[in-house]
Amino acid sequence: MTVTDLRSYNPLVKVLGPIPAMVVAIGSRDPVTPALFAALALALLLAGGRLPARTLGLVVAGTTALVGVMTVSFGAWTDPALVDHTHALVRLGPLTLWSGALENGLATGLRVAAVVLLALVSGLTTDGADLVRAMITQLRLPYRVGYAGLAAMRFVPRFGQELETIRSAHRVRRVAGGRGPVAAVGRQLGYAIPLLAGGMRHADRVSLSMEARGFGAHPTRTERRHVPFRLRDVVLLTALVASALLLPLVSGGPR
Amino acid sequence: MTTPLIAFAGVAVRHELPGAADDAIRYGRPTPAGVSFDVHPGEAVLLLGPSGCGKSTLTLTCNGLVPQVVTARMDGAVRVAGRSTVDSPVPELAAHVAMVFQDPDAQVVMATVLDEVCFGPENLCVPAPEVRERAEDALRTVGLWDRRDDDPARLSGGGRQRLAIACALALRAPLLVLDEPTANLDPAGVEEVHALLRRLVATGAHAVLLVEHNLDTAVELVDRVVVLDGAGRPVLDGPVRPTLADNADLVAELGVWLPQSTLAALRLRDHGVDLAPLPLTPGELAAALDARPALPPPLAPPAPPPPREPVVRVSGLTVRRGGVPVLHDVDLTVAASELVAVVGANGAGKTTLAQAVAGVFAPPRDTVRIAGVDPARSDGRTLSGLVGFVFQNPEHQFVTGRVDDELAHGLRLRGVAAAEVTARVDDVLDRFGLTELRDRHPFLLSGGQKRRLSVATAIICRPQILVLDEPTFGQDRQRAGELLGLLADLHRAGTTVLVVTHDMQLVADHATRVVVLADGRVVADAPPATVFADAETLARAGLRRPPLARATGALVNHPEWRAVTRLADVPAGAVAAVRP
Repeated sequence: MTVTDLRSYNPLVKVLGPIPAMVVAIGSRDPVTPALFAALALALLLAGGRLPARTLGLVVAGTTALVGVMTVSFGAWTDPALVDHTHALVRLGPLTLWSGALENGLATGLRVAAVVLLALVSGLTTDGADLVRAMITQLRLPYRVGYAGLAAMRFVPRFGQELETIRSAHRVRRVAGGRGPVAAVGRQLGYAIPLLAGGMRHADRVSLSMEARGFGAHPTRTERRHVPFRLRDVVLLTALVASALLLPLVSGGPR
Repeated sequence: MTTPLIAFAGVAVRHELPGAADDAIRYGRPTPAGVSFDVHPGEAVLLLGPSGCGKSTLTLTCNGLVPQVVTARMDGAVRVAGRSTVDSPVPELAAHVAMVFQDPDAQVVMATVLDEVCFGPENLCVPAPEVRERAEDALRTVGLWDRRDDDPARLSGGGRQRLAIACALALRAPLLVLDEPTANLDPAGVEEVHALLRRLVATGAHAVLLVEHNLDTAVELVDRVVVLDGAGRPVLDGPVRPTLADNADLVAELGVWLPQSTLAALRLRDHGVDLAPLPLTPGELAAALDARPALPPPLAPPAPPPPREPVVRVSGLTVRRGGVPVLHDVDLTVAASELVAVVGANGAGKTTLAQAVAGVFAPPRDTVRIAGVDPARSDGRTLSGLVGFVFQNPEHQFVTGRVDDELAHGLRLRGVAAAEVTARVDDVLDRFGLTELRDRHPFLLSGGQKRRLSVATAIICRPQILVLDEPTFGQDRQRAGELLGLLADLHRAGTTVLVVTHDMQLVADHATRVVVLADGRVVADAPPATVFADAETLARAGLRRPPLARATGALVNHPEWRAVTRLADVPAGAVAAVRP
């Protein structure tokens, strides 16, 4: 059954569909609304993500840890004046951890977790090239822009490696750094010139290679893989938008 | 005569000169200058010329990249399938001319091998079923069909370059233009690509225009050669064998690299042993030598340097990167005034070993000693006085805005007095031919000048050992030759050198010792002649013999010649007195 496979859905629906839900989740004040959105996103990933156990484990563990850390840290930062009517859970010298503050932190953590999980619905089930194809087919994005963007994405890991090499090269030259932020900024600027020079040369070569292979010869190009917009995509899109409107009502509405 | 696939008529290209004070655009001298020749269906043409004569530029005119994309002024005309390359948009010419460039990494756009091959035909609006058929055909030809779902980044260097060739084939263009397709590859990768080109040329389905520095193989692949001189003017054009053999002296004088086998034969000819017709390939040289009843004895290679005190001592070095072992239990000693070459296939751990020896990263304690100092326990300043490290890309290690500051940098960091800094910088500028350029920004130097500057910055602190990581990577033969000359001079003057390289002729001609790595282990550590005689180890490490060693290794007669691997050991110069 491909209907239960998120990969078979149109990438645009997966990328754009959750945006209203994200907005509502960010705007919510209570912990229940974002928790419901997070649960919805997680359910989608579990049911239709077909993710390897390792990835799934990382997602669940990562978001749980995120919520935990944010609950405590945001909880500690909350203005005590707002929450000192609630229970005092822990007293550490001048610091008091109020239960209301913790609840505030939890809500913040859940809001971030909901947005992350909603973004992962597309992030973990969408191929970049398919997204570009869908944007070209359905959004009428000029293919020159889409594919050039795709080629540019391939620079990212290369840049990372190159930066690493430049850093070790500069270390070998023992660049007189000194300490402190000014010296650090100076060092980063020192990496920028070789990185940019290398990047420009690489971009130049890639563009020559693309043109030599007929990129831009015609107003359109053959797409071997058609990314369709089917009934199931309409259903998913409707469901996602509806959830953005309905879930806050389920959770008792914004307080 | 068939109609030509491509016709060059008086092609001359002038590149823009950088750095004009006013905004006027100035152009340099034309390279190439006035080139006219045709390529017909089924022909395989080798384009030769010294560095800077405009070979690459000429290949870029084939589909209009020059002057349409790369800004330059072009005189004369290039016609492809009857169309002028100046007026027809570059992408439209892709159906007629397919190109393969030097750097396989810079030719990858898509995320899988199959998508990559389909990219070209899709751009040409070929119907989807035919795109698939062409892609399968091309991938099967280059032997990558089974890897079609892989990320191109996971292929070896040779594999990526075969992929680039598959991409060119999928365009079904009648003319294939290749610009130094093997310059960035390890020896096994070079062989893969050459074997593929040989098969492609043999089918006669494509015409090929090839720029290639690896001549001993290239001359077997092509049937015609066009030679440009240093100014980019065409001087020779004809069938490869007679053209090169009859004009060997002229070609050598132009500064064009000749096959090693031919160079060896020329040395012998000066010595009174005429191997006419001049051999072009190792096989021909071996046959010509075997056919002689007697040969003069080869020159004895210089005696290995007497054992000196060790500069570098590596013992039991194991390095892991991200949990994967890169080096296993490596032992290595480098004595003063040695020139040690570290060789092996891509990923064998060569760079890691060189970086550990130079303290680029801190190796585990007590595994490396440089002049008695453990890099794991010493600070950078001590280390930079002991080792000079030259990176693959010279730009990576430039840290100042002027050539002379670049040289003074290391000295100033070490607290050398100002007067002495000036004296030493002036001396090194002079020795490396950089005096005129002392106030330039290092990034504005030419490729060869940048390379010289990077070596100069590494030696100005008078380190005990100079370590170089693939210094000839991606450079043309001539620039590589210049660098080797520089290294040989430094070595003669007493510098200890450790060099990581894929260039087997460099190893044969200059190294006093070769360390062969395979899968992170040292599998051989011996003088070059011994290593090149050991076919099993070479195969295991993914290495190939350099051309001269291939020729002498195949000799049936003349046992005393079988160990000759250095061009310098082939007798040269007139033997006036003893000649009958």
